[in-house]
Amino acid sequence: MDEKKENSRSSPEKGIKRRDFIQGLATLPILGLFTLSWLKKTAHDRSRKPAQSQRAVPKDLSDIHVAFLGTGEQGYILLNACLKLPGLRFKAVCDIWESYNQRRAAQVLKKYKHDANTYVDYRDMLSKEKDLDAVIIATPDFWHADHAVACLESGLHVYCEKEMSNTLDGAKKMVETARRTRKLLQIGHQRRSNPRYLHCYKNLIKEAGILGRITAVNGQWNRAVQPDIGWPKKHEIDTATLNKYGYESMHRFRNWRWYKGMGGGPIVDLGSHQIDIFNWFLEARPKSVLASGGTDYYSKDTHEWYDTVLAIYEYETEQGVVRANYQTLTTNSSEGYFENFLGDQGTLHISESANRGGVYREPTAPQWDKWVSLGYLSTPAKVTPPTTAGAVLDVRETIGPDRHGIPVTLTDPYHMPHLENFFNSIRGIETLNCPHDVGYETAVTVLKVNEAVESARRLDFAPEDFRA
Amino acid sequence: MRIDNKYSGWQLSALVLLRVLIGWHFLYEGLSKLFDPQWSSAHFLLESKWIFAGMHKAIASNPSVLSVVDSLNTWGLILIGLGLVLGCFSRIATVAGMVLILLYYFSTPPFIGIYYAIPSEGNYLIVNKNLIELAALFVLLLFPTGHIIGVDRFFHKLRST
Repeated sequence: MDEKKENSRSSPEKGIKRRDFIQGLATLPILGLFTLSWLKKTAHDRSRKPAQSQRAVPKDLSDIHVAFLGTGEQGYILLNACLKLPGLRFKAVCDIWESYNQRRAAQVLKKYKHDANTYVDYRDMLSKEKDLDAVIIATPDFWHADHAVACLESGLHVYCEKEMSNTLDGAKKMVETARRTRKLLQIGHQRRSNPRYLHCYKNLIKEAGILGRITAVNGQWNRAVQPDIGWPKKHEIDTATLNKYGYESMHRFRNWRWYKGMGGGPIVDLGSHQIDIFNWFLEARPKSVLASGGTDYYSKDTHEWYDTVLAIYEYETEQGVVRANYQTLTTNSSEGYFENFLGDQGTLHISESANRGGVYREPTAPQWDKWVSLGYLSTPAKVTPPTTAGAVLDVRETIGPDRHGIPVTLTDPYHMPHLENFFNSIRGIETLNCPHDVGYETAVTVLKVNEAVESARRLDFAPEDFRA
Repeated sequence: MRIDNKYSGWQLSALVLLRVLIGWHFLYEGLSKLFDPQWSSAHFLLESKWIFAGMHKAIASNPSVLSVVDSLNTWGLILIGLGLVLGCFSRIATVAGMVLILLYYFSTPPFIGIYYAIPSEGNYLIVNKNLIELAALFVLLLFPTGHIIGVDRFFHKLRST
């Protein structure tokens, strides 16, 4: 092009002319177009996040007075999660391990300017602390019933760790007392308040019906080999105190989860959380359970409950039969912990652990574009085709399904939303996500596994078994 | 450098179009980082390979340095983007843009024998889109248009009066 025009050059005349303005600001409308597109894009992005739970700001922030009963490992986790919640005053800490658990909890509370009294005996605490509203119970399972009943009777709302109780009689007493006293009793199946689980249940399974008909469920919690839990010798509790509270020895006090009459073993400690999700997502209670298990690896003297359990439930849902298997190993950590819901249109893979999780569409199912554009699912990840190097591909193999991410993630400590739900229920702005009836149903479902292992045959549930 | 380039109407339009498109790209990259509270260059820096890998990993592991780098990058992108779209300080914006892209290119170069954990959206051998955008900016540096279609016209005019 040798025909170069002069028209695009700056005009030779002196001073800024109209033409200079037009050409100098000629690209300004592009910026307007950019701003418009950008606003549209942000508005669209915002509309794609329907499930990200907005934290309800309590209207009535007058302080709730809280006591901690049991501040061991779990109690300490709950205490730290509570410290992040507004509108709470921590007034008392009760733990029989004065020089360790109790002192640690009191020190943290003091650091955050909470003036909490300390107690060894819960009866002592309940008789002296007269302005408590709520209590967080994180004592060993065999204490839950006594502790929860006493606290409810004293007029307190109770957040009690799972398992509700190590016996159904204990759990029944808790339900009866909660009903009679009309106080709130939340059981610590914290996934019920986890926004990720809520999104999967409400939006993906219920609203979108994304899995189609669920036909099978599987779940597991596999843990690596762990030594028995020890304790610093200088902080040993004296035998009289241990005996008074039902512990034969310091070893039993620290490792109560493994002993009959105190805990329920890994199937109850770990399985309970996930089997609770089976019941919740399937909206059903199982019809039967069969199980195999035993103390295969550890010493039976220190591990009365089974270190390995495999259980199979049969559910009868509105859509049909669902078979669910669950395993807990304490000898190998392969694949960690998760729950899988398998339907004829897709698979939901979910875990409390935020780095796991995904939804997989069956190749024959209708497209999920609608749910992706609504923000219910992330855009599918690129599926790597199977490598042909050195392997013979069989034509009968179906291609792997697309993997969609679950776009909702809990960024707070795991127990925080469940505790928040408890306190907001006390304030009357929410209802409990895991009230006593639900906790009871789960206890019935889970405790039966140990029975099934022992009896070595299939055990049936009657519908009335689930009602306290 | 001569800046009294004489362009035909089509030549000028094509050059301005290229400038505006690259500017738009920079501006949106910058703004989306600015408004994404989760964003940090840490992941990018940790993926870094080749000669800058050590330095980039050191930056990513120091939170205060990282936050300075993050805001330098974000605001750099926004200002370069605005400069290119509006044709304002376009020479500075073009050079700064080239430097920034060169940094990106060298942190994750598509060289033979270098593999990345995060898959790229295409397939590249030495040449990738960063390098092409860099070359495009080089063209814009040699064939400037801000003084004709752009705010630079005013400075140019004031200087020549």
